[in-house]
Amino acid sequence: MSDIRAGRPDSPAARLARLGVADASRFVAGIAELPWWDDGLLDEVGDAPDPSAVLRTVLQLHERDPQQLPATAADPRAWRRFAQVTGVSQALAEHLVRHPEHLAILAEDAPPPDGEDLRAQLVALGTEHGRAPAGSNAAADALRVANRAALLRIAMADVVDGDPFERTAARLSDLADAVLDGALAAARAQLPADAPQVRLAIIGMGKSGGRELNYISDVDVIFVAEPGPGVDEADALRTASTLASTVMRLCGGHTGEGSIWEVDANLRPEGRAGALVRTLRSHVGYYERWAKTWEFQALLKARAAAGDLALGAAYVDAVLPFVWAAADRDGFVADVQQMRQRVERHVPARDADRQLKLGRGGLRDVEFSVQLLQLVHGRSDVMLRSPNTLTALESLATWGYVGREDAASLAGAYRFLRTLEHRIQLHRLVRSHVVPREDEDLRRLGRAMGFAREPGRELTEAWQRRAHEVRRIHEKLFYRPLLEAVARLDSGQARLTPQAARERLDALGFRDPVGALQHIEALTIGVSRRAAIQRTLLPVMLGWFADAPDPDAGLLGFRRVSDALGATPWFLRLLRDESATAQRLARVLASSRYSSELLLRAPEGVSLLADAAELRPRQSGPLTTEFVATADRYDDAAGAVASVRALRRRELFRISATDILGGLTVDDVGNALTDVADATIAGALAAAVSEVEQARGGMLPTRLLVIGMGRYGGGEIGYGSDADVVFVHDPLPGADDREAAAAATLVVNTLRTLLDAPSTDPPLALDTDLRPEGKQGPLVRTVTSYATYYDRWRSFWEAQALLRADRVAGDPEVWGRVRATIDPIRWPAQGVPTDQLREIRRLKARMENERLPRGADPTLHTKLGRGGLSDVEWVIQLLQLQHAHEVPELRTTRTLAALEAARRIGLLEPTDADVLSEAWRMATRIRNVVMLVRGRPSDLVPTDVHELAAVGRILGYAPGETGALLEDYRRTTRRARGVAERLFYGEV
Amino acid sequence: MDKQTEFVLRTVEERDIRFVRLWFTDVLGFLKSVAIAPAELESAFTEGIGFDGSAIQGFARVQEADMLAMPDPGTFQVLPWRGESQGVARMFCDIRMPDGSPSFADPRYVLKRALSKAADQGFTFYTHPEIEFFLFKQPHEPGAVPVPVDEGGYFDHTPQGVGYDFRRQAIQMLEAMGISVEFSHHEGAPGQQEIDLRYADALTTADNIMTFRLVVKEVALEQGVTASFMPKPLRDHPGSGMHTHLSLFEGDRNAFFEAGAELQLSKVARAFMAGILTHAAEITAVTNQWVNSYKRLIGGGEAPAWVCWGHNNRSALLRVPMYKPDKGNSTRIEFRAMDSAANPYLAYAVLLAAGLKGIEEGYELPDGADDDVWSLSNAERRALGLQPLPASLNQAIQAMERSELVAETLGEHVFDFFLRNKRAEWAEYRRQVTAYELDRYLPVL
Repeated sequence: MSDIRAGRPDSPAARLARLGVADASRFVAGIAELPWWDDGLLDEVGDAPDPSAVLRTVLQLHERDPQQLPATAADPRAWRRFAQVTGVSQALAEHLVRHPEHLAILAEDAPPPDGEDLRAQLVALGTEHGRAPAGSNAAADALRVANRAALLRIAMADVVDGDPFERTAARLSDLADAVLDGALAAARAQLPADAPQVRLAIIGMGKSGGRELNYISDVDVIFVAEPGPGVDEADALRTASTLASTVMRLCGGHTGEGSIWEVDANLRPEGRAGALVRTLRSHVGYYERWAKTWEFQALLKARAAAGDLALGAAYVDAVLPFVWAAADRDGFVADVQQMRQRVERHVPARDADRQLKLGRGGLRDVEFSVQLLQLVHGRSDVMLRSPNTLTALESLATWGYVGREDAASLAGAYRFLRTLEHRIQLHRLVRSHVVPREDEDLRRLGRAMGFAREPGRELTEAWQRRAHEVRRIHEKLFYRPLLEAVARLDSGQARLTPQAARERLDALGFRDPVGALQHIEALTIGVSRRAAIQRTLLPVMLGWFADAPDPDAGLLGFRRVSDALGATPWFLRLLRDESATAQRLARVLASSRYSSELLLRAPEGVSLLADAAELRPRQSGPLTTEFVATADRYDDAAGAVASVRALRRRELFRISATDILGGLTVDDVGNALTDVADATIAGALAAAVSEVEQARGGMLPTRLLVIGMGRYGGGEIGYGSDADVVFVHDPLPGADDREAAAAATLVVNTLRTLLDAPSTDPPLALDTDLRPEGKQGPLVRTVTSYATYYDRWRSFWEAQALLRADRVAGDPEVWGRVRATIDPIRWPAQGVPTDQLREIRRLKARMENERLPRGADPTLHTKLGRGGLSDVEWVIQLLQLQHAHEVPELRTTRTLAALEAARRIGLLEPTDADVLSEAWRMATRIRNVVMLVRGRPSDLVPTDVHELAAVGRILGYAPGETGALLEDYRRTTRRARGVAERLFYGEV
Repeated sequence: MDKQTEFVLRTVEERDIRFVRLWFTDVLGFLKSVAIAPAELESAFTEGIGFDGSAIQGFARVQEADMLAMPDPGTFQVLPWRGESQGVARMFCDIRMPDGSPSFADPRYVLKRALSKAADQGFTFYTHPEIEFFLFKQPHEPGAVPVPVDEGGYFDHTPQGVGYDFRRQAIQMLEAMGISVEFSHHEGAPGQQEIDLRYADALTTADNIMTFRLVVKEVALEQGVTASFMPKPLRDHPGSGMHTHLSLFEGDRNAFFEAGAELQLSKVARAFMAGILTHAAEITAVTNQWVNSYKRLIGGGEAPAWVCWGHNNRSALLRVPMYKPDKGNSTRIEFRAMDSAANPYLAYAVLLAAGLKGIEEGYELPDGADDDVWSLSNAERRALGLQPLPASLNQAIQAMERSELVAETLGEHVFDFFLRNKRAEWAEYRRQVTAYELDRYLPVL
C-alpha cells in the first residue's frame, strides 16, 4: 500500500477521506477556491475530532467574511485552536461564523482571564447596556456575546491545552458568577432613580456552589436581600424581587444571540411557591422551622456567588450550622433512605443505559453519596466540609472515612465521566447527560476524549469500565470502610474510627451499631477463604440490609445462616456468583422474622432463593401428590407426618419469601397457603389411615372426609391461622357402626396429634370447634348423623357457617352426600325471613360488644374491629343467605368471589363493593404481614413503632410514613363500617 | 445546635430560670404541662421528654402509651406572673412517637399538617381571633348562678371597674410574653370582656390562644375574681364567642384581595368562603365542641345559626368586614360561629381544610345575605335556601360522622377519639334532670 501511495499522490478528495473527512468530495472544490489555502493546513484539520466540521466552518466563514480567516490560518497556534475547537463544538463554530471578530481570540497569548477580571468586565458591560431604552435587548445580547467569547477561551484551554477537569469546571463557575453579576448590574441600571436601596446577594447552589459547573446547565441560586439604611423592608423586597427576576430573564431568556442558561431559584425556601427573595432573617427563620433534610443537604453547597458578597457570606455563615446539625434531626435516617431511593428511581426509561447523570452509579449518585457522608461525619469533623465533590471525596479519604484506593478510583471515574459530559455538552451547548448512540457522534466524542484508533469503541469501553466502578459506589463509600474499621490488620493508613463507624451505621438505620460491628468482625476476620469471600460480599449485603425494614435482624440472620452453611462449598459461591440470590436473602432476613425462623431451621432453603422459577407457589395438584407420596415412603405415621411437616415448612418459606419480595397479591397468598394446608392434611391423613389400618390389620371400615370451614374453607388462610375443619365418615356397607366410629376417631386423633406435635417445624393446629354441637359434639360423625343434626337442631348461625364449608381432603363421594344435606341449608330456598334477619343482626351486634378483647382499639382490630374482616364477611354472607338460592354465582365459599358476584348481578353498588373489598384485602394483608414481621400472629395492627414501621415497609410505605399506614387503615375500615352498617343493619 | 436553642439555654442561665414548663394540648383543648429543671433542657431538645400518653385525653391507649414531648425552642417565653428573677419559662411541644415520628394524636400536628397542605399550594394561613370571656365575682359553687363582676355593657368604660384593671394587667402580661394585643373592650354582657389578638400565622395564633386562656385565669386569680371561657354561662345574656378573621397569603401578597373585584374579594377568597359554607355543618362539632356551645349559637344576637355570608352582616356565619381602600393586605373574612372554648389547633385546621377544599374544587359562592337572618321568618329563610347550623351537639356529631373532610383533616385517630368523647358527653348530658325541669314540672305534674 505505502509504495503505491508514494508512487501516485492522492487526489485531494482521497486525501481528505484519509484524514477522516466524511463526504470529502463536497469540500474539495470549496477549499480549492480559497486564495490563501495551503494543503499543509490539513494536518491540523485531520487531528480535530470532527474534520468535516472544521472544513464546513472554514467555508461558512469564508462566505461570511473572507478577510478574517487568513490571519488565523497563518498563525499555526491559532489554526490548531481553530481546528480543535470547531472540530469539537458545533455551537462555538457557529458563534465564530456569526462573530468573525472573535477569531482574534484564537491568537491570544494569555490564559483565560481570572474570575475577578471577568466579573469586572461583565459588570461594566451590564451597567453600560442596562441603560438602553426599555424593550431593547442590548444588555441581554451583550452578555450573551461576552459569555460565548469567554466560553471560547475556556474551551480552548480545555480542549487544546488540556486543562484538567477541575480547572475547567472552576473557570465555568467563575464565568457564571460574572454573568450573574453582569446581569445584576444591568438590572440595577434599569431601576428607576428613586428605587429604594437594597442589598442583594446571589447564592450559588448545586454545581455552581461547588464551583464544579458544566458547560451548560441550569445555574441553581438563592436570592438574599437586606434593605438599605432607612428603607422599609417590604419596599426593599419588592425592589429586590424585580432585580432577581430581571437577572433570571437576562440570563435565561432567548434573544437573537441565543440564551446563556436558565437561572433556577427553586431551591429557595418553600420552592416554587415561596417568595423569590427573602431577607437573611426570613431564611434563617424558615430553616429553623420548616426545612426538610434534603434542603439542608442542598445548603451544603451554598456559596456567595454574585451581588453583595458580604451579605452572601453572612448568609452562608448563618445557614451552615443547620447543615452540620442535620444528621441529628428526627427522621434523618428515614429521610436519607427516601432520598437515596429517589436518586435511584429517577431514571427516565428511555436513555437509561446511556445516562451519565441519573440512576444508581450515575454522577448524581456520586455527588449524593459524598454529600451524605459529609452530613454524617461533617458535624464532628470540620475537615470534611468542602462544597466541591472532588475535594470532599479527597478529604474523606485523607481522614479515613473512605478507603484511599476506592476514593482514588472513584475520583478518576468521576473526572472521566464529567469530562465526557463536558465534551457532549460542548458540541451543541445544550444540556444533555446522555451518551449518543450514533457511530458518527461516538467517533467525534471518542476523538475529543483522546482515543485515536477506534475512537467510538474505545470510548464506549472506557466509559463502561468507569461506570462499573461508580456503580459500586455505595459499597465502596459506605460499607467497605466499616470492614476496615474492624479489621485487625494495620495498613498504616487512616481508617474509620469505631466512633465514626457507629455514627455511620446509625445513619444507615442500624439500631444497634455496636452489635452490628461485632457481626461484621466475626464474619470477616481471618485469613480463610470464607472470610475473604465475606469481605467482598458483606459490603454489598450491608447495603441491602440498610434498605430493608430491620437491618440489624438482617445482619444477625445472615451471620447465623453463614455460621450454619459457611463450611458448605455451595453457600458462599451461590451468593457471590448470583447477586440476585444475595439480594433476596438480604431482603428476606431483614424484613421477616417468620421467614428467617423458617430458614434458620433448615438453612439449605437458601437455595430456593437462587432460582426465580422456584419463587412462585406450586400448583395444588403436584403439591398434594408430593406430600402424599412422601408420607407413603414411611412405615410409621410419626415419621411420615414429620416429613410432611418439613415439606410444609419449605413451602411456607417459599411463599413467605416470595410475598416479601413482592411477587404475590393477598389473594395469591391465601390460595397458596390453603393449598399447602390441603396437601399437608392429605399427606398426614394418608399416614394416619395407613397406621390405623396396619394396627387393625385390614382396611378401614369407613370412608373419611375432612371439610374445611371458616377462612380455611374459603381459601383465605393466613400465615398464622389455625385450620378450621370438621370430620365426617361414612361406614362401608356392612361395617359395624361402632367399630367404624372407633376407627375413624382413631385416625382423626392420630392426625391431629401428629400435626400439632412439638417439632422444629411449625405445627398445623386443626380447630374442630365448628363441628355440630361444638365442643360437646363427637369429633367425627357419620354422614347420616351429620344430616340428622342439621335437619333437627341447627341454629341459623350454623347455616351461615356452612356457607364456607368445602372439602379439603378425603373421599369425594362422601362430600357429595354431605353437600346434598348442607346446600339447602346454606342456600335456603326461602332466603332469610324477617325474624331470622333480626336474629342475625342481633347476634352480630352482640359479638361486636363481647368478643373484642378488653382494651383493644376497635379501629385497629383487623378481625372484629370497626370495618374489619368480620364486618365485611357478614355483609357478604347475609347476601349469600338471602340470594344464593336464586343466584348460583353466589354459591362460593370465598369472600371476594361472592362479593364480586354480588357486584356483577347488582346486589352491591360498585362503590360499596370497592369499599368492602379494599377493606377486606387491606385487613387480610396486614394480618399476613404482621405475622411475617413478628413471627407471631396478632389480630391488631401493631402499635409498637418499630413493628409498625417494618409492616409499613413491606406494604410499600416509605420510611417515616408509618403514621400514614395507621391513617390509611383507619380510613379504609371506617368507610367499610359505614357500608356495613347501611347494608347489614339496614341503617340509613 | 441552632441559634434558637442556644438562645433558650443562654436565657435560662441569664434570667435564672428555675423551671421550664413544657406545654402541649390534649385533643379537647386543655393545656397540659410538665415542668423540667434547666439541667434537663438540652436532652429535652435532643431526645424529648417521655411521658405516659394514655394519661392524656385522646392521646393513646395503654399499650401504646410511651410518647415524647419535644419542645419547640421558637416558643420559649419567660412567664411573667412568677416574678422577674428566679422565674419560670414555658415552651410549646410537639408530641412524637418513640421513634421520633410525629404523633397523629397531637392537635398541634393536626394543624401543622393542614398548614403544610396549604403550603404545598403556596398559601400561608393567618388568623386573628377576638376572644370573649366572662369575669365572675366568686369561684363557681355547684348549683349557684354565677355573679358577674360588673353590670357594664358594650364598650362601657366602667371607672375603677374590675374589668378595666383586669384588661390592663392581662394585656401587659400578654405583651410581656410576646403576644400582641390589637384591641380590648367591655363586651355586651355584664362582666364580659373581649381582647383581640393581633393577626399571626395560624399555628402561632393557636399557641397564643392557649397562652391567653392561662394568662387570663392567672390574672383573675391575682385579682380575686374568676375568669371563664364557657360559651354561654348566663341565660339572659350573650355568650362568649371567638370570632376569627381569616386570610390566606401567597408569599407577601394577600390572596384574598383583588383590586376592583366585588368587595375586593379575589376568586380564591370566594372559593375559600364557599368551602367553609359548604362544610359548615360538618366542622361545627369542632369549632363548637361542648353541649353548652349550642346554647350560645341558638341564642340570637351576634351568634350565627344559619349558613350564609354577608358583607358586614353580623348575623351571618361568615362576615366580610368593611374594607379600607389601599389596604389590600388586610382583606379577610370573619368566621363567627367558633367559641372561646374550642381547641384552636383543631378548629383552625378544619376551617382551613374546608376553605382549601373550596379552592381545590372550585366551589361557587352563593349570593350573600343582606338581612338580619334572625329577624326573618322560617318561610323566608327557606325561600332564601338558608341551611341551619347544627342546633345541638348531637346534630353536630351526626354531621361530623359523615364527613370525609373532617376525618382527613383531623386524622383518623383524633377523628375517632373526638367522636367517641363527644357522643359520651351528649349521652351524659341527656341523663341530666335540670333545675329548669324541676322548677317547671315538679310543682304542676
